[in-house]
Amino acid sequence: MHAVVCVKQVPEQNSVKINSDTTIDASGITPIINLFDEYAIEEALQWAEKNDGKVTVISLGPDDATDSLKKALAMGANEAILINDDSLGQVGAQGAAKVVAAAIQKLGDVNIVFCGKQSTDDETGQFGPALARFLGWPQLTYVFKVHELTDSQIVVDRALEDTLETVEASLPVVITAVKDLNEPRYPSLLKIRKVSKQPIPTWTLSDLGLSADSLGGTINIAKRTPPPPRPSGEILSGDVQTQVKELVQKLIESQIL
Amino acid sequence: MIVLNTPWRMYMDFQLTEEQQFLRQTVREFAEKELAPKAKDVDESAQIPDSTWQKMAAAGLMGLPFAEEYGGAGVDAISAALAVEEIARACGSTALSYAAHVGLGSSPIAMFGTEEQKQRFLRPAASGEYLAAFGLTEPHAGSDAGSTRTSARREGDEWVLNGSKMWITNAGVAGHIIATAVTDKSKGKRGISAIIIPQGTPGMEFGKPEHKMGLRGSQTYAITFDNVRVPAENLLGKEGEGFVQFLKVLDGGRISIGAMAIGLGVAAMEASIAYAREREAFGKPIGAYQSISNMVADMATELDAARLLVLRAAWLKDQGKPFTQEAAMAKLFASEASERACRNAIQIYGGYGYSSEFPVERYYRDTRLLTIGEGTSEILRMVISRGLLGELA
Repeated sequence: MHAVVCVKQVPEQNSVKINSDTTIDASGITPIINLFDEYAIEEALQWAEKNDGKVTVISLGPDDATDSLKKALAMGANEAILINDDSLGQVGAQGAAKVVAAAIQKLGDVNIVFCGKQSTDDETGQFGPALARFLGWPQLTYVFKVHELTDSQIVVDRALEDTLETVEASLPVVITAVKDLNEPRYPSLLKIRKVSKQPIPTWTLSDLGLSADSLGGTINIAKRTPPPPRPSGEILSGDVQTQVKELVQKLIESQIL
Repeated sequence: MIVLNTPWRMYMDFQLTEEQQFLRQTVREFAEKELAPKAKDVDESAQIPDSTWQKMAAAGLMGLPFAEEYGGAGVDAISAALAVEEIARACGSTALSYAAHVGLGSSPIAMFGTEEQKQRFLRPAASGEYLAAFGLTEPHAGSDAGSTRTSARREGDEWVLNGSKMWITNAGVAGHIIATAVTDKSKGKRGISAIIIPQGTPGMEFGKPEHKMGLRGSQTYAITFDNVRVPAENLLGKEGEGFVQFLKVLDGGRISIGAMAIGLGVAAMEASIAYAREREAFGKPIGAYQSISNMVADMATELDAARLLVLRAAWLKDQGKPFTQEAAMAKLFASEASERACRNAIQIYGGYGYSSEFPVERYYRDTRLLTIGEGTSEILRMVISRGLLGELA
C-alpha cells in the first residue's frame, strides 16, 4: 500500500487579524497543518502500519510549508514532497487538485489518497472531489470510520447530514476525512531529530509537465466584509428583585427558558 | 581555584537550531493540550494520572536526552531544558516528577552505569515503562549530603542496605531507586557509593506521600531500608564514587530545575498579562497603571535573563565544558526570579490571586520549592562564591 496524504498549511484561526481596510494582517499568523488533514495523516499512518505500507505527504505551498511536511514526517510519514512554483500563488482549489493529481501520477504506485474534507482557511471543500476527478478515481467523502483497507478494497462509514452510510470501494480511491475520525498522534521527539536534517524535494510545474496556462482560471477575493459588530448588551436597572424578575421575563421571551 | 567561564570567552549565538525550535513547539502543543487542562486536578487530587505518563512515553519524552539504543530520543541539553520549561508552564507537578525521573533517577545510569545496568534499568525508564527515582537526602543530611548515614555492607555477592531517606520524588511509584549509602565509613565522603535498588526489593518500605505546600501531584516519599539485599552488580560505577557522582548529577539537575522555574514563572507572567489587560479599576485596565505594568516588565526581564543563564549552562554541558558554576547561577537566579514573578502575579490578581479558583496561587506554591530542592539558594551561593574566593575557612 502506498498512501498519499495531501496536507495544506493554513493560518491558525485565532492568529488571523483583519486590518481596518479589511485586508489580512499577515504578521503574527501562526501556520499550522489544516485540522482535517491531521486526521487524514493519522488514518493513513495507522493503515500503513497495519498493511506494511508507505505514506507520502504532499503539500502545495510556499517554502515555509515544509514546516507542516516535517511535522507529518515526525508523526511517521515516510516521504514528503513540496510543490512550489511562482505561478501557483493564486491557484484555486481546482487548479491545485490538477497539480497534485499530476504529482500523484508521477509517483506512480499510489493506491489511496487521504485528504481533509476541507481546509479551515478557504473552506471550499472542493479539493478532494476535484482531485478524484483529475485522477479518474472514485471518491469517498466525509469519511468518519475506516473499517477495512487492503491493497484492493476499502470499507468506510460516511457521515452524511442525517445518515451514516457504509460504503465499499475498490482501490485506487480518494477519501476525505472528517473531524474525530481518529486521535492524531504527536510528532515523535526522536523522529524530530532525524526529520530536521531530512531534505524535502521541491517539485515545480515543469517537473510535473504542466504549465500555468493549463490550470484554468484563478479566484480572486473581490471584497471582504467583516461580520457585523456584536450589539451591546442591555443592563437592567432597579433593585435586585426587579432585575431578576425582568431577567426571567426576557429569558422566557427569548425562549431560553 | 575554579575559573568562571566568563561570557567574553563564550561563543554567542542565540538562535535555536531548527531541531530545537521544532522540539520546543511540539512539547508546547503537547503540554497545552494534555497537561495544562489537568493541572488543577493533579494539584487537588495529589496524583498524576497514569495516562499522562503513557502519553508522554508515546511522544518520546520520558527518555528525551538518552541515547536511542536505550530507548531515548538523544536530544541535546538545550532541547531537554526547553522541554522541561514547556512542561512546567503547563503543570508544575508533572514537571517535577518528570525532571526527577530524567535528571536524577535515570541520568546517573546513563553517565556511570555499565552496559548491563543501562539495558536493565535505563532502557525501561527511558522508554517510559516506569518512573525512576534518586535517593540522596536523609532526615539528617540535606544540603550536607556528605553526612549520609544510610549504610551498605558487602555480604558475599550482595550489598545489604540499612537506613532511611527523606523527600525522595517518585520513590513509591518508581521502578528503581538509586540510593547513596556509606560503604566505607573510614573514608568520609570518599566512602559513599550509589546502589541501584529495584522496586519491590524486600526490606525497602515507603511512608505515605508527603503533604506538601505545592507540587502536590508529584509524590514525595520517605524510605526505610531494613536489610535490603541487592546483587553486587547493582553498584553504580566504582565503590566510593557516590559523592562525586551525585555532585555531577546535581549539576545537570540544576539546569532542569532552573528550566522548571522559568516555565512556572512564564505561566504566572502570561496569566498576569491577560488579567492586567482585562481587569478594570477606576475606569481603566489595571495594566495601564505603572504599579502593575512595572511588575510585568520586571517579570519579563528577569525570566528572560534566567532563560539565558539556564540555556548557557545547558550549552556548556552540550559542549562538554565545565558548567558547575553556571548551573548553580542559573538555578539560583531562575528559582528566585520565578518566585518573584509568581508572588507578583498574585499581587496583580488581588483577592482572586489568593483564591484557588485562579491558577496563580498554585504557581506560587509550586515554584516555592525551587529555591530549596536540588541545592538551596544558600548552598548555591556557597558553590558560586567558593568558585571565586576559594575555601577561606
